[in-house]
Amino acid sequence: MTQVVQAVWGGILFGSVYGLMALGLTLVWGAVRLLNLAHGAIFVVGAYVAYWVTSSLHLSILVALPIGVLAAAAFAYAMHVAFIRPVLGKPGFDNATLIATVGISISVSAAALLVFNPEYKVVPPVLSGYFILSGVQITNQGLLVIATSLALFALVYLYLTYTRHGMAIRAVSQQQEAASLMSIPVERTYGTVIAISGGLAGVAGVLLSPFFFLSPNSGFNPMIQALIVTIFGGLGSIRGALVAGFVLGIFESVVEVFYGVAWAQPGVFLLIILMLIVRPNGLFGIGEVRRL
Amino acid sequence: MLEVKGLIAGYAGSEVLHGIDLTVKDGEGVIVLGPNGHGKSTLLRAITGLLPPRAGSVFMDGKEITRWRADVIAAAGVIHIPQGDLLFPEMTVLENLLMGAYNGPTWGERNERLGRVYELFPWLKDRARQLARTLSGGERRMLALGRGLMSKAKILLIDEPSLGLAPLATEQIYASIRRVKEAGLAILLADENANHVAGLADRVYLLETGMLVREGPAQKLLQDKALLESYLG
Repeated sequence: MTQVVQAVWGGILFGSVYGLMALGLTLVWGAVRLLNLAHGAIFVVGAYVAYWVTSSLHLSILVALPIGVLAAAAFAYAMHVAFIRPVLGKPGFDNATLIATVGISISVSAAALLVFNPEYKVVPPVLSGYFILSGVQITNQGLLVIATSLALFALVYLYLTYTRHGMAIRAVSQQQEAASLMSIPVERTYGTVIAISGGLAGVAGVLLSPFFFLSPNSGFNPMIQALIVTIFGGLGSIRGALVAGFVLGIFESVVEVFYGVAWAQPGVFLLIILMLIVRPNGLFGIGEVRRL
Repeated sequence: MLEVKGLIAGYAGSEVLHGIDLTVKDGEGVIVLGPNGHGKSTLLRAITGLLPPRAGSVFMDGKEITRWRADVIAAAGVIHIPQGDLLFPEMTVLENLLMGAYNGPTWGERNERLGRVYELFPWLKDRARQLARTLSGGERRMLALGRGLMSKAKILLIDEPSLGLAPLATEQIYASIRRVKEAGLAILLADENANHVAGLADRVYLLETGMLVREGPAQKLLQDKALLESYLG
């Protein structure tokens, strides 16, 4: 019983984080057709800024959280202005942005190393405390992460479905030329999407770091997991990111608890390979046609 | 209101328009007639900023709008109903219409505007929740026109409204455009035949290989069957 609860709890917790990271990736892919390999770097920016606010300014994590999230969004927007916007619609966009985002990733790690130091940092949790359920320790911070992730999924969905700017994002992703004929500023809309995506990575960075230690490369693993989730769920699909996050999170956790940690990653990849044989475009992806 | 002077435009390696001079006055219906491939779409795209012109200038109400971004030109009330409709396929009919009213000052009046578009195309209201990609050709064309009318248009630029439509749908769409014109909106319409433009056209230009070769009042030019035949075949 303890093992089952342990597996489910771990799965839901990590599934929600994978989903949160994947949401940002899939948004940017769906709207801008940009595979943002700097997503993990943006995660790290949010986390380090929050760490700096708590450790150097001695402010509460409740203050550090929004500052970290804003910093991540601003960083993502700056990346858009400097590296994405200049090549929009130009031949070689895919290669140029791929190299640029990998470069940003490396630069952020190096900068974190220079500004701080290679030592592991501790970002305090927003909520402390825990309770025991069937012998498994359920942390309040974990519950907060799950609730935040679900709430952000709902918020992004409502934003895209019902608001003027959200609808404009979908319009731009589906028919860019017509969107500009509707007086929608295409490049600014891309900037908005990238900033929102950055903010989501920032939330993940600040809320997830208390579970691990923060280091310059902390964003790498969550990003790889998010990429896997995004591909599993279907690139560009928000529903896919949500479902795939939990499916992969729980699957990985169950394999880990029952077959040992050595099987967790290979198990996940096996599942993905099987799934991609059955549905090459992912769970909810319908290939190139898939738009927000 | 709309004034085009010496407009030169084209794509990489080939010039399509070789110096176009054209005007549309307030509330006027102007038709650019020309065979396929002679630059009608290019002309509209160059005016509305989808294809920045190489030379020449475009004025709207006396203000130069040459090389403005397409979204800024649209915000100024120059509304382009593009060839092939370019609907948002995965959005509903209602969402498509709402995007037509995206521009800041227009958004607050979207419900009144929606009412007026529904009056013109009542069936759009019945299909409000349907995805645009599920519509038939005629329905798509009407949605494209309705979406354009959601904006605060001062002038509508319409690209071949009959393209790919059955005769009945063609008649309906021209009847709708006539009603829009009668309501006082200026219209610049590109077409490849003169069959449907009666009652809509005040003035006609003939476009041949990227140049406007004739200009005149519609009543006179459209009666000259021999002339039209020699140009349009």
